[in-house]
Amino acid sequence: MKQQIIVLIAAIILFGCEKAAENASFSAGGNGTGGSMARFTIVGNHLYTVDKSNLKVFEISDPAQPVFKRSVPVGFEIETIFPFKDKLFIGSTSVVHIFSIADPANPQKQGEAISPEFMRRCDPVVAKDTVAYATLRTTGPCGGTRSVLAVYDVRNVQQPVHRNAITLGAPYGLGYTGNTLYVCDQLQGLVVYDITQAYAPVQVNSLLLTGNDFIDVIPFNNLLVAWVSKGMALYNITDKANPAFLTLID
Amino acid sequence: MRYVLLLLLSGLAACVQPRNEAGPSMMGYAPVYLTGQTSNNIGMSAARATKYPGKIYAYQQWLFQVEQYRGIHIIDNSNPQQAHKMGFLEIPSCTEIAIKANHLYTNNLDDLVVFDISNIGAPQLVKRLDGAFPQFSQEYPPVPSAYFECPDPSKGLVIAWEEKLLDNAKCRR
Repeated sequence: MKQQIIVLIAAIILFGCEKAAENASFSAGGNGTGGSMARFTIVGNHLYTVDKSNLKVFEISDPAQPVFKRSVPVGFEIETIFPFKDKLFIGSTSVVHIFSIADPANPQKQGEAISPEFMRRCDPVVAKDTVAYATLRTTGPCGGTRSVLAVYDVRNVQQPVHRNAITLGAPYGLGYTGNTLYVCDQLQGLVVYDITQAYAPVQVNSLLLTGNDFIDVIPFNNLLVAWVSKGMALYNITDKANPAFLTLID
Repeated sequence: MRYVLLLLLSGLAACVQPRNEAGPSMMGYAPVYLTGQTSNNIGMSAARATKYPGKIYAYQQWLFQVEQYRGIHIIDNSNPQQAHKMGFLEIPSCTEIAIKANHLYTNNLDDLVVFDISNIGAPQLVKRLDGAFPQFSQEYPPVPSAYFECPDPSKGLVIAWEEKLLDNAKCRR
């Protein structure tokens, strides 16, 4: 690709979102929903964690008695972990490592996504059936040419194909529900895209919150939970394209 | 392969940029080092103001936000328009959160800890896996592009960062 971009792909906690949306009465056995910058994630009966260089697996069939199963060396500067179906996408500052968890206690590396034209410093990330969205941030001392929302075709998760790049200011976390994608940007605020055409997001809105930057978001039923610089902000997203501010918890 | 590795390492090293000299006083981040009894200071306390907001999590009618390196704000979201903090779970060095079946998983120093949150007002520590996360020491502050006082390994592990006026903020990431 022409732009100097590096890919950090991960997947939104799709199951958590969809389940929560389906179940008006929550099941006590279910798990919650995290943001796109998490280092802990739960899939089924396993807790997966990443530290700077390792993926760790804990079995939590008995939730009160986690059992350490194994530690898998992944690479350098690991930052985020996201499940997508039977895959884990593990983001680092340079490479996206893709593991299969078809055997949940025994993640197997399948491949990695790396951009040939290398640029440091990127961040998280969501994916759904055929597409992954990653924010690639180039502010700060580590340089780069521009910050973008990158769009990847992940039908073959072992070899994501770059499909699009949308210029942003300084993007951080992101999340989606249905055909709406929310991206946190230090300059533009909360930027809302229609992703009906998955590889061609169309910006439909952007919101600022006075005195706050947006850092990460979780769409949770009709609520958008946002990590902002002074705490947590909540928005009603019954109308997905038009988040309505509810409250700031600071 | 070795060459690639070398390139990668030199690239990473460049991400922490020491300043050439100690400049004038400026706002930056100072490391907070682990002291003896810090790890024992776990438990529920009254709701408090958010100072170093961290990761977020949604579970049933509750929302959670990490107070970076200090604990977790617990928020009652039964009515989102009036969502409010109902308490603070103190967990030194905590940065992460995940929940399944009324059990909250987080990190406390280098341990994995599990709280039973069936009674959200009184989480119970039910399990600790010692040394699950040996790499927990914080090498740099949780803020991009910030200047900070370079950690001194001889002073111990870094469990938090405090924003303050510094004379010797020689590191930047």
